[in-house]
Amino acid sequence: MNVVYMILLKCINVVLKLFGKQGGNIIGKIAMKLNPNMLAYFKINCPVIAVTATNGKTSTNNCIGYTLETAGYRVISNKEGNNMETGILSTLIKHASLTGKIKADYITFEVDESYVPQVFKTIPLDTLVVLDFFRDQLDRNGEVETLILKMNTFLKTYQGNLVLNGDDPNVARLGKANPDNKNVYYYRVQKYAHATNGMYEVGEGKFCPFCKTRLEYAYYQYSHIGKFSCPKCHYGEYPIYKEATNIQLKEKTFEVEGITYHIQDNSIYTIYNYVAVLSVMNLYHIDTEDIIKAFSQFALNNGRLESITIHGVPTIINLAKNPTGANVSLRLVKEDDEEKELLFVLNDNVADGRDVSWIWDINFDALAEHKVSRIITAGTRPYDIAIRMKTAGFDSQKIIPCEQLEQAVQELYQTNVKKYVIANYTALQPTRHAILGKKG
Amino acid sequence: MKEVKILYLYPDMLELYGDYGNIQVLKYRMEKRGIACVVDSYSIGDAKPDFSSYDIVFAGGGADNEQSILAEDLLQYKEEMKVAVQKGVFFLLICGAYQLFGKYYKGVEGNVIPGLEVFPYYTEAIGDRKKRCIGNIVLEVALKKEQPTKVIGFENHGGQTFGSVSPFGKVLFGNGNSFGDKQEGFFMGNVIATYLHGPLLSKNPEVADYIIEYCLERKYGETIALQALDDRFEQKCREQMLQRLLKSKK
Repeated sequence: MNVVYMILLKCINVVLKLFGKQGGNIIGKIAMKLNPNMLAYFKINCPVIAVTATNGKTSTNNCIGYTLETAGYRVISNKEGNNMETGILSTLIKHASLTGKIKADYITFEVDESYVPQVFKTIPLDTLVVLDFFRDQLDRNGEVETLILKMNTFLKTYQGNLVLNGDDPNVARLGKANPDNKNVYYYRVQKYAHATNGMYEVGEGKFCPFCKTRLEYAYYQYSHIGKFSCPKCHYGEYPIYKEATNIQLKEKTFEVEGITYHIQDNSIYTIYNYVAVLSVMNLYHIDTEDIIKAFSQFALNNGRLESITIHGVPTIINLAKNPTGANVSLRLVKEDDEEKELLFVLNDNVADGRDVSWIWDINFDALAEHKVSRIITAGTRPYDIAIRMKTAGFDSQKIIPCEQLEQAVQELYQTNVKKYVIANYTALQPTRHAILGKKG
Repeated sequence: MKEVKILYLYPDMLELYGDYGNIQVLKYRMEKRGIACVVDSYSIGDAKPDFSSYDIVFAGGGADNEQSILAEDLLQYKEEMKVAVQKGVFFLLICGAYQLFGKYYKGVEGNVIPGLEVFPYYTEAIGDRKKRCIGNIVLEVALKKEQPTKVIGFENHGGQTFGSVSPFGKVLFGNGNSFGDKQEGFFMGNVIATYLHGPLLSKNPEVADYIIEYCLERKYGETIALQALDDRFEQKCREQMLQRLLKSKK
């Protein structure tokens, strides 16, 4: 019966393609209706690598795929970021034969934090990478702790490679979920130039998950990411598999084990993602030369730290769907010594979370002192973000809220000052298209 | 120079929904008018504060885990809190803090977290963990006897609060103290206890100014007429939200 379904689903896919549609989750949704157990139909004979996190899933998963391809392997991946069960199913259906065979050397998936147990109940998982856990759309996802506990339960019986951010206390705790799993690997990034002694932005997990003691930090890189340890039970002291050192954001380089890697972007949080990728590559014995080459070329260009030039004006677009996403974007703004203007696009559609209170967890302090000369706000909630920036001390005369996106982009390019654009989930692509449209 | 002192309770634990923004708004609106605003904080392990020496005591909402840890700590100040309320210190309590100042909170498994019993209401979690009152909410609030004003915020709570004898407002859109309730929060002259995030004061400058005016009049014993501020963004924001929410209802 499944063969018949496959023929049908592949036909639908062709039709969708004819109409210029990507498909996204649609094929998977139909498949689930036809057979709720469809995931079990596929015969997978290659390693499956999955990336999960609050922030950084799409970039990291794409970078893993890109590096493996650079090394000459055939990779299947949900590159576009359809990361729920239906999205993963869609990806498999598109790439499988009618009998469910998949020809690939590697499969890499980004998986939504809450879907990991469901998806990998059926699909064999070889390596799981967990990057970070931050508060994210509380009205949709609930509290972070609930997500972590769910993941922890799944990992209790998991025996595969587990690659964990050793500088995130909410992630590293998962390494203890299954004491019998000998394949746990922690990565870390050495202190960078803008690290702070105190927490600079909102963060989670201030208390030790094992003994409830307040965690101590040698330094914070951003949010609650940093070198932490528990003074009572010594949680945080584990052997590190890969550590990035000598972080040079201006030069866009970092080192691991004495080898220098050049990258395309200049943010502390992406360095973490690169070290995660590097850890995975080492587990699969990928040649260092290929990793160096892939890292030096990799750029996602879909609004994740995307650099473009509009009529000679440098513009950087970045997605920020939660406080930490916005805070790391503002770190970039503050770390840049040039004068710049900001466009912040805030939507409150269902996929964004209807609650916009999270913008009060963004650290908008001292923007004027860091040479931000003007701020334009837009999206479905332009005034909320304007009020937020005004209250943080930015001169309200230099804040321009716009109800229409086109009007906001028009306003933004009235001057030739460098631009930073921050947009949340559903705001990102419309904003990006409105800006790219100006390119003409 | 006039001065208002705020005590922020458990800033490292009750900080989940951006409620700290309320303090930022108060501070902003005071400093714009040449009033000094001092913010002190208290959390577990700190020396016992003199609650009655403050003009405003503020506490927000937190994660369940944190909330159960601090409930125990808070209970030791039961009597001091009651005295401070009687003396007229202003209490702004949001979400979890609103619940903690009532009689008790009964969890999903029937476990009872005792409250401070400063106010007569009580809260019970709904059996189904997934069912919560979530969404934008609009209230009609009469802060003084004069014309009522509309208050806009966002509610996100599983707990259902009953026995609020003097609610903060009448619900025009959203749920309120419990599913489909017509009332929201608890109010008396110097107490606003509510589920509204947003943060509450960011979209409701009238409420912020009511608190500031109350504190100054109490402290300095004179009638205060606050200087008007440039609230263009707030007004536009309110227009947009009221239009969207109250219109969609019809």
